[in-house]
Amino acid sequence: MILVLLVCLPFVGSLAAVVLLRTDSRVLAARMAGAVTFVALVLTAVLYPSVRDGGKVRLDLEWLPQLGLNVTLRMDGFAWLFAMLVTGIGFLVVLYARYYMSEEDPVPRFFSFLLAFMGSMLGIVLSGNIILLSVFWELTSIFSFLLISYWHNNAAARDGARMALTITGIGGFCLLAGLLVLGHIVGSYDLDVVLASGDLIKAHPLYLTALVLILIGALTKSAQVPFHFWLPNAMAAPTPVSAYLHSATMVKAGVFLLVRFWPALSGTYEWFMLVGIAGISTLILGAYFAMFQQDLKGLLAYSTISHLGLITTLLSLGSPLAAVAAIFHMMNHATFKASLFMAAGIIDHETGTRDMRRLSGLLKYLPITGTLAMVASAAMAGVPLLNGFISKEMFFAEAVETHADSVLDRILPYVATLAGAFSVAYSLRFIHMVFFGPPPTDLPKPKPHEPPHWMRFPIEFLVLACLVVGIIPSLSIGPFLHSAVISVLGDRTPEYSLAIWHGINTPLIMSLIALVGGAALYVVMKDYLAKCDNGPPLFRHLGGQRIFERVLVTVSWKWARWLESNLGTRHLQPQLRLVAAAGFLAGAVSLYLAGFSPKPLAFKDVDPIFAAVWAIGAFCALGAAYQAKYHRLAALVLLGGAGITTCITFVWLSAPDLAITQLVVEIVTTVLLLLGLRWLPKRSEKVDNSVSFSARSRRFRDFLLAISCGFGMFLFSYAIMTQPVPDAIASYFLDKAYSEGGGRNVVNVILVDFRGFDTMGEIAVLAIVALTVFALLRRFRPAPDSIEKPEQQRIQNAFDAERPERSAGDTVRDYLLVPSVIMQWMFPVIATFAVYLFLRGHDLPGGGFAAGITMAIAFLLQYLAGGVRWAEDRLRILPLRWMGFGLIMAAATGMGAWLLGYPFLTTHSQYIEVPFIGKVPAASALLFDLGVFSLVVGATVLILIALAHQSVRMHRVRGLDAPKAEEN
Amino acid sequence: MAANPADLSAALVLTPVPAADWLVVLPPAWCILAGAVLLMLRKSVRLQALIAIPALAGLVVIDALLLAHVAANGPVTMVMGRWLPPFGIAFTADLTGVLFALAGAVVALAGGVHALADIDASGRRYGFYPFLLLLMAGVSGAFLTGDIFNLYVWFEVLLIASFGLITLGSEPRQIDGAIKYAFLNLIATTLFLVTTGYLYGIFGTLNMADIAAKAAAGRAELPLMTLATLYFVAFGMKAAAFPVNFWLPASYHTPRVVVSALFAGLLTKVGIYALLRTLVMLFPVEREELSFLIVLVGVATMLLGALGALGQSDIRRLIGYVVISGIGVMLAGLSLGSPGGIGGAIFYALHSMVVMTALYMAAGLAGRLAGSFDLNSLGGLYGRSALFSALSLVLFFAAAGLPPFSGFWPKVMVAKAAIDIGAWWLAAAVLATGFLTTIALGRVFALAYWRPAPMALPVQTMPAGALLPLVLLTALTVGFGLFPERLMALVQHAAQGLADPRAYIGSVFPEGK
Repeated sequence: MILVLLVCLPFVGSLAAVVLLRTDSRVLAARMAGAVTFVALVLTAVLYPSVRDGGKVRLDLEWLPQLGLNVTLRMDGFAWLFAMLVTGIGFLVVLYARYYMSEEDPVPRFFSFLLAFMGSMLGIVLSGNIILLSVFWELTSIFSFLLISYWHNNAAARDGARMALTITGIGGFCLLAGLLVLGHIVGSYDLDVVLASGDLIKAHPLYLTALVLILIGALTKSAQVPFHFWLPNAMAAPTPVSAYLHSATMVKAGVFLLVRFWPALSGTYEWFMLVGIAGISTLILGAYFAMFQQDLKGLLAYSTISHLGLITTLLSLGSPLAAVAAIFHMMNHATFKASLFMAAGIIDHETGTRDMRRLSGLLKYLPITGTLAMVASAAMAGVPLLNGFISKEMFFAEAVETHADSVLDRILPYVATLAGAFSVAYSLRFIHMVFFGPPPTDLPKPKPHEPPHWMRFPIEFLVLACLVVGIIPSLSIGPFLHSAVISVLGDRTPEYSLAIWHGINTPLIMSLIALVGGAALYVVMKDYLAKCDNGPPLFRHLGGQRIFERVLVTVSWKWARWLESNLGTRHLQPQLRLVAAAGFLAGAVSLYLAGFSPKPLAFKDVDPIFAAVWAIGAFCALGAAYQAKYHRLAALVLLGGAGITTCITFVWLSAPDLAITQLVVEIVTTVLLLLGLRWLPKRSEKVDNSVSFSARSRRFRDFLLAISCGFGMFLFSYAIMTQPVPDAIASYFLDKAYSEGGGRNVVNVILVDFRGFDTMGEIAVLAIVALTVFALLRRFRPAPDSIEKPEQQRIQNAFDAERPERSAGDTVRDYLLVPSVIMQWMFPVIATFAVYLFLRGHDLPGGGFAAGITMAIAFLLQYLAGGVRWAEDRLRILPLRWMGFGLIMAAATGMGAWLLGYPFLTTHSQYIEVPFIGKVPAASALLFDLGVFSLVVGATVLILIALAHQSVRMHRVRGLDAPKAEEN
Repeated sequence: MAANPADLSAALVLTPVPAADWLVVLPPAWCILAGAVLLMLRKSVRLQALIAIPALAGLVVIDALLLAHVAANGPVTMVMGRWLPPFGIAFTADLTGVLFALAGAVVALAGGVHALADIDASGRRYGFYPFLLLLMAGVSGAFLTGDIFNLYVWFEVLLIASFGLITLGSEPRQIDGAIKYAFLNLIATTLFLVTTGYLYGIFGTLNMADIAAKAAAGRAELPLMTLATLYFVAFGMKAAAFPVNFWLPASYHTPRVVVSALFAGLLTKVGIYALLRTLVMLFPVEREELSFLIVLVGVATMLLGALGALGQSDIRRLIGYVVISGIGVMLAGLSLGSPGGIGGAIFYALHSMVVMTALYMAAGLAGRLAGSFDLNSLGGLYGRSALFSALSLVLFFAAAGLPPFSGFWPKVMVAKAAIDIGAWWLAAAVLATGFLTTIALGRVFALAYWRPAPMALPVQTMPAGALLPLVLLTALTVGFGLFPERLMALVQHAAQGLADPRAYIGSVFPEGK
């Protein structure tokens, strides 16, 4: 239970800090954060008795059994030591940050992120389930991203944050993949099970996959070569963040992971080579780069990288003693490096700069801080009587041993000594350049002085720890280290001694060489270093960072653009081509693979008239497509011809109902399209024949594609139609239409009853179409060349103008007068016909849809005959009301069945006696049909009105010369 | 032919229908009714919102009740007009359908509220709310219908309604996008219709349970593979799968932002749903054979989507590509066929509905607050609203699939399912997509939110109430990220129900067939 509390408490604190966001007090947030970290520290500390000597605290809560993921928290000696590190340094950092952050910074946000980070870090440490571990792993990346960019107005901070997120992000995803593979190998995501199955894992064919993926995760997090470059860039973060995340804890997560999985993964040749190469190159390169940094934090960052490389190298060796040294050095490094970062922060805080070329002789101004920094740097350099010395000696001892006979192994002692010398050199440089020499001349803040005592306290504490561990190791850190080592190594725990003095042996000599050599190196290079540019001489322009940026730009800009422009398209035509091709291939390839062989075509009983009708229809369709580009009118007429062919076909195949509906639909659509044509811009009728060869071949290709698609569809249809028809529902419809549907017109009964819901959907479609057309046309601005009055009207008006007895507009008014009078008179006739069609629909051809369109034709004729004004003076149509009423009617009829306890859209049919007419069929489907009727009328008329008003508004625009038509 | 009482029991449902079954049909019917009322109130702009938003809230409640019912009792069927299946149109709600429907309703409600601030009076007069309600009728109908032709009808409803929505502003840019959108989608829908015609020719029935049963019985001699591939093309196009997905980035950035948001949340997911329904439930053997093709399409979709997102500077186009890359993950899950894979696909689809909608809303607000949608001129959003920035960041991470947000779990499910069959490269592709998305969205955050505004642009204030739906959706993604266990159990059941549709068929044909 304490474990849950331990993980949750920082997150709760983080949320609480968000609540404090509005307050200006930085003290309150800091106190809260301090309290939380302190409680966490105490909670961790009191758990020690249960983890001592190989003990374990474990908590299991079932969570996601589908994934094999439980909330398992476990703490063993190693996790305890690390948790102490996280909470202990966390507390010190909070204390330090309380004084470090300035008044202008939004402090609650800082502490909120910091606490959340601490919670995530504890989560990594305490996870007993490897998926849970990766969840917390990602969280640390996120909060590191947020903390680095805390000063988000600073471009370096933003870039550094993005880089860190990118690098640790890729590591996080790889780690997740690797852990999933690992879980697949083991069959469980439980950490204890995984750790116990080391042999199984190492023998599995997926071992290398898992290993590489997990290593990428660990090495990116711990900033190992070649992923190291994000860490120096992360130094744009506030110094407490650098001290906490980027030296003491988060970057240690990578090596923590390596230690954690050490029993399960290490000891193979692959492990040695991969981890070893990364570790050794990081060790040496990091130390080399660190010497040439001019930024204090940059120097510390590279030094951190180098020390992490040292730990990684130790872990690569696969010997238990090396693992002990690695764990020990993790703790030691955290103590001296965090204190050094804090010291650097104080220097920055007091002087305003971190550039070593400008800093000098600060010991006079900052005597205590200076002294503390000197001790800590000495620990970093590995000077005896300090903790860094002991673990470094252990490292040297392991370096000399032979583990796996290879080049790597043989060069290791020399590399180790060289890196040691480098580290002595940069430590010396840090101290000498900053604290000694002449007084500083050009500091941004001229009068540096010692910080408040409590700001210095964390450094004092940590330096004291360095000393204590360095002088009496086995009394101070010994038992804790032992618990940690046992929990990792189990019965492979070696004999080791934490003594300072082992006698004169090879490691001691190596240490001496490193100390003397490092000092000599510094003396030689001092003058160069005091003036040189930032970065090491040979690699100054060849950083991983540059490569990273180059890659990022290439991937994100060049590749992405290239892909988009070569594979993607913003144009319609290529997309249509793709879709058609995909459809064709999908059909053709699968048919071919299935061994499709159509039955031979056999024409028999061909009716010559019917065939002729279809020939005409096909001709019309082709002609419409051919003419569509330049001769819209001709295309429209041909389209009508194709439509008529369909109507005739319906009649021919005994579907008069469909034929009637199709016919009226054809009429209405053609008329509406004709009305719309008037507003389209003119097309040049000249066909440009001088097109290039490539354009021609493109057209030809599209033509071929179209033919293939058509032919493919034909083939498949043919294949299916020549199959025996499985009769599942068709004959049922024929049987039941009257007996249960209450109507003899099967088509209509299907429409309004059997499949009434389809009809309801379709009328909704019609309503939406009408509204869309209306909305589009309302704001439609015709092309300039179609705003002019039509040619015919102009001629007619010119005719009027030439004759004195006629006034303008007379001819236009009288044009086709007789037909228009007839059309006006037709209104009641057509309306009656519509009612007739509607009522007989259930038994004979007709029905709501056909009736509705017929009614709409009646309105249409009025508009055509009399013009918009004339028609609207006499008829008041509110099409939206009609549509709304229709939809409600249809839906409500369906819902009505609820009252009777029947399903949706159940009809109720009976005959009722109507005076003078006799028995009338009155299925409730009739009400549904009424809805259809109403909606169809409304929708058609709405489109009509939208088109018709176009001319009215154009007149108005012309008349007033207004730039913009009034919007309704 | 006279009515014969003995006939009735063979043709009609005679027992009264329990009231709870009405929940199955209510979502589309409710939306149509509300849409019809809104049609009649075209000019009463204020009243429209007052009706539409409670109606959408009602839809959420209905779907939630339906989910509770289905989760407790298994699939529910109602056959229209009390005709026995397969004669009448059956509405069958199983877990998959209801989960999609509920998520869709939540998204629509959020969109409806967001529209209060985003859609001006003229947009509303031209039918935003009626279109939205009718769109939801189509979406809900598509998720709940058990009849494949009826599915086509709902596809048409939602396609036309979406066309109405996309052209709402009638700007040339919008018309251009709308034309691409409409043409390509009409073609896909037509292909769907043609295929359904073939299917009817083969099976003589349109009821999905009936088809599933018949396909399982007489697979050998029927050209089912062709049907499966044709459906794959038709629905893949709807879902924006590579290589037929370029209509999405070409059109989604043009309409009002809230319209983009609704599209991103609803439309592509209907395509995914239809793929799940047809390929997993109707043609499982064919899906198995096609799985390599589907996986290729899925991987190409996710990687190209993520790379496409990297190369954009208009944040709305960028999010369009993020939507696409998510589709790839769902296809990958679908191709795996195991409960983990299908369940992951469903989970991811639900997550994506919520998060993509929210992302577009966030992009819209960003555009308002910073005066531009272009990353080159955006900036300083953090300074303008810290809360909004925090919400956006959560959404970005959720879209990238980082824990502890809802996108993480389905990705883990799919990755695990892939590794379980040894396809670790597929798992790697899924995770690499997440990584690329992280970079793309991290760039947006660094440039648009943290960087100080590079130039002074005319900006608007944060509209009151626009944050509310964003908060709601973000809360959902955080909630399901932190407590995924209930949903994960549901999607696994849903996936099993799809892979083994006995309960589904049993609900349609209670007496067995």
